[in-house]
Amino acid sequence: MASLDYAYRRLVNTLGPERVARSEFERMVYSHDFASLPKIALLQWRLYPDFVALPQTTEEVAALVKLSDESLLQITPRGGGTGWCGGSVPNRGGVLVDMRKMNNVLALDPDTRTVTVEAGATWKEVEDFVESKGFALPTIPLNAAGSTVGGSINSGSTGFGGLRGGSVRDAIASLEVILPNGSLLKTASQADAGGQLANLTPLFFGAEGTLGIVTKAILRVVPKPEISKPLTYAFPNLAAAARCLKGIVDAALTPYHAALMDRDHFVFDRALEADSPDPTDLALVAVQGSKDDVADQEKAMDGLAAKEQGTKLPPAVGDRLWRDRYNNYSARRLSRGLMVSYNLVPLRRLPEAVEKAMEIRDKLKLNGSVQAHIVDTTTAALDPYVLMDDTKPSGGTALGFVKRMGDAAFKMEGHPMGLGLFLVFNLRKMHGNATSAYSAVKGVFDPRKKINGGKTFEVWTKYPWPGLRAIPPPGMAIGLEVAAILRRVKPTRDRFVRAYEHTKEG
Amino acid sequence: MGLLRDWHYVEKAVQIPALAELIREALIHALFVRDDRVLPRDLIADLNRVPPVTVKVKEDAEVRKLVRVLNGQESTVSLGLSAEDYHYFRTQLGVGRTREFGVTMRPRTLLTYDWIVPEQRGVQLDFTGYAGIEFAVDGHRAIAQVGALWKRLYDEASERGHLVPFVPTVPLDFAVGDALYGDAPFASFRGGFASYVNALRTISAYGQRARIGFEEVANYGTAYDLLHAAIPLAGEFFIPLSAALRLEAKPAARKTLTYGFDDPAKLSAGLDRLCRFGPGVNWVHITDAVAAKILRPATPPEASTVQVSLGATTTGIAAKEKALDVAMVGFKAKSSETPNPYDVSADAYRKTADTVARSLFVGEVRVPAKSFGEFLGKVRAFGDQSAAKAGAYANLQETGSVSTYPFFSAPKDRTKVYDLSKGVRAIVTRTPGAAFTSRLAHLWDEEPNFLRRMSLVRSLKLEIDEAHVVQPLISP
Ligand SMILES: Cc1cc2nc3c(=O)[nH]c(=O)nc-3n(C[C@H](O)[C@H](O)[C@H](O)COP(=O)(O)OP(=O)(O)OC[C@H]3O[C@@H](n4cnc5c(N)ncnc54)[C@H](O)[C@@H]3O)c2cc1C
Repeated sequence: MASLDYAYRRLVNTLGPERVARSEFERMVYSHDFASLPKIALLQWRLYPDFVALPQTTEEVAALVKLSDESLLQITPRGGGTGWCGGSVPNRGGVLVDMRKMNNVLALDPDTRTVTVEAGATWKEVEDFVESKGFALPTIPLNAAGSTVGGSINSGSTGFGGLRGGSVRDAIASLEVILPNGSLLKTASQADAGGQLANLTPLFFGAEGTLGIVTKAILRVVPKPEISKPLTYAFPNLAAAARCLKGIVDAALTPYHAALMDRDHFVFDRALEADSPDPTDLALVAVQGSKDDVADQEKAMDGLAAKEQGTKLPPAVGDRLWRDRYNNYSARRLSRGLMVSYNLVPLRRLPEAVEKAMEIRDKLKLNGSVQAHIVDTTTAALDPYVLMDDTKPSGGTALGFVKRMGDAAFKMEGHPMGLGLFLVFNLRKMHGNATSAYSAVKGVFDPRKKINGGKTFEVWTKYPWPGLRAIPPPGMAIGLEVAAILRRVKPTRDRFVRAYEHTKEG
Repeated sequence: MGLLRDWHYVEKAVQIPALAELIREALIHALFVRDDRVLPRDLIADLNRVPPVTVKVKEDAEVRKLVRVLNGQESTVSLGLSAEDYHYFRTQLGVGRTREFGVTMRPRTLLTYDWIVPEQRGVQLDFTGYAGIEFAVDGHRAIAQVGALWKRLYDEASERGHLVPFVPTVPLDFAVGDALYGDAPFASFRGGFASYVNALRTISAYGQRARIGFEEVANYGTAYDLLHAAIPLAGEFFIPLSAALRLEAKPAARKTLTYGFDDPAKLSAGLDRLCRFGPGVNWVHITDAVAAKILRPATPPEASTVQVSLGATTTGIAAKEKALDVAMVGFKAKSSETPNPYDVSADAYRKTADTVARSLFVGEVRVPAKSFGEFLGKVRAFGDQSAAKAGAYANLQETGSVSTYPFFSAPKDRTKVYDLSKGVRAIVTRTPGAAFTSRLAHLWDEEPNFLRRMSLVRSLKLEIDEAHVVQPLISP
């Protein structure tokens, strides 16, 4: 391996000194993603990159990837760093490629109804651009403000608009990718909307940066709806809200978005902002279309909600929630840390699923909120979050929640989302006998495991020695299970909001 | 749709010194029509070979066992065949000799044409009798065995309050599996067949049951979306046995509205507006006069007919119809009584399918809605020149692309198929934004990015099917 100083010089020659960082502070910033990892993780992984590189062009990305053949440094691609399972965090140092300087929206073609963007653009940036031209994105990840196009595609994200607009995967016409050998690949031919001509785009959907670095995406756009109207309904309990969401699909309605949030979310909100909505178990449904269409959908929604004793809330509540829709985790400010568990469950089992999530949260004595949204006619995303203080030893044990939620999702015939660095043990549970076919994909694209090696399929440690190089994925599962047990034996419930206990009891 | 084997064969054939003189296209032609003036005799013999054994599948355990036998993991004894069948099987396959065996799936109904390279010495699976359908009790999904007929799925789903969103653009009597290892053109307004597949139950090349995707939920954030990457070629990676399909609820009110157009420009403009319509449209089916006559012999056809299946609330359907009329402005005639090809009895469907199947199909062309009318005109003119009256079935997709299946009244011999395909390709090259996605078009395509993708797909196949069992690749 070339010395780090030499590697640094080569990087600087490629990008210029202002776009290569190696200071302790910068490396620290990139040593975690949205999930808070306990310090103990540093014993296992070298989470700090050796260098952070900020390319601005596809050619520079290709040059960075080729450089790693000389330096033998691992490459970790990173978008907004809002993932939750360590995908964008190094495990053995190396070069972290921050894509956020490649954030231009390059062109909108009204004829083919596509927009070409650089992979480091956030979805919100893309949305603002296409809306200014009279178009909209058919579907957009929940975290549109922070997550990048390349990052969400590589996370296999769900989001707003799925029921109506389809999956993010189907919204991609084509991707431009720098493969681990430094060559450029276009994943589909653009005229081939159905992907018959050897369409490789789906392989990158959820690839967690293990197949190459996405540099550009051509995304489909749809005409901007005439009217968009958020509706909110309060329910006697969360299961009733879940039944209402299921009822939407059973009634063949196709609102743009339909989600539920439990009252605890609003308890946290209230602690941060006095004028936030009254805490209640709530469904948020956004309908879009022409004036007539919206009125008709609203009427149908009112009827569905009434069936579950839902009461319609004033328009101001919906407007506020809709305005803040990309900013869902402000509760983090109450606790310093926050852990989200993303799972897909069958929509028909959503009422049971939300109750299970509440049960797990309460058993583990955590504060948190249970939330869900419809993904498609069979699927709901169940994404509860819990608050944690990762500066305290007990903070890290909140990771046990993610493990227990994932197990519950499997039991309900669904699955947790994301594998990254520390949820790899779920891979086999997800794919069973087909697991080897999934690993085969990595073998074809990146036989030398240059990009995000030691993640998604296996768990490398920072140690290069045989026997210690990797830990068996079930080892991680045991660790997280221990965390869950520690939470259960913890004598007291977490208490980040004073009001929390009152409202729970009251 | 099964093309890796043909593609690989062609790629290898162009490297054979004796054939290197031929330009790629001439070679493909020779291979396709089995031209013995150009190709060596043993090569022709390979191309004319038929799989010696066909197994009618009734249970997945049989397929597992078969694969394990072909893999040498189990002896033929475990196949549990009668003494007579057992002897036949062993002699036909030449068990005990040093040969490679493969398994290939026989589509129930093939829209276009047979593959260039047939399975050489292995087993062909016939799934006609493997046709169960199971519906979720309280949700909108079905698990259909690959032999299940689409029409049965559609009807039974409807009885249970579900809507099968995807319909065959060319209304033939396809089985579900035909979309996985054949060329069944299932699609809805909102997407292709693949968007409605949650998972496939398969047998892997190692004889194990392997589920690709998740039966009850979508496939997000679980490493690569191998399912959707593989679906067009599913039968070359795994042996698909059942598909878990995502259905929808049947809308409270449904209507099929039929619009007749006599002006191609107005038709194109109408389709271009219609693809922006948004929810409520289930499918949009387009036929020219020739196709309309086949589907509805009793009704005098318009030059072009657009049928739109609309679904909405009982209170909302009238407004949607009004909006649709606005989008389709320029039509010559409108009716809400004309039957659509799908909501008819199974017998009537089959009868029509038999007539539809007589035409010669060359595969799919994707045309931007704006140029559809013009494209149709060119195909028709080409048909007239070639003494093969042309027509087309098509469906409009929300993306603005019209998935079109041109057909010709001509005998289905391979030379004719090839020549007509070539003619269609020539029209496609002159139509901006259009793409020909037939199997032959894949073989002709020499765009460097496409070739790279194909070779990555081939590498992936060789990794996943390391045992060379599932439609093994063959070199000339
Ligand atoms: C408020 C909030 C809401 C969220 N809601 C959802 C949700 O609803 N659904 C959901 O699925 N997730 C959700 N997430 C998780 C996360 O935001 C998504 O996974 C997100 O799309 C990741 O995007 P990112 O740009 O931050 O990627 P990062 O976290 O930076 O990276 C994610 C993965 O992609 C790889 N990667 C990043 N960029 C590239 C690139 N250009 N080329 C190749 N690989 C790359 C990384 O190596 C990593 O493995 C949410 C997160 C937050 C904070």
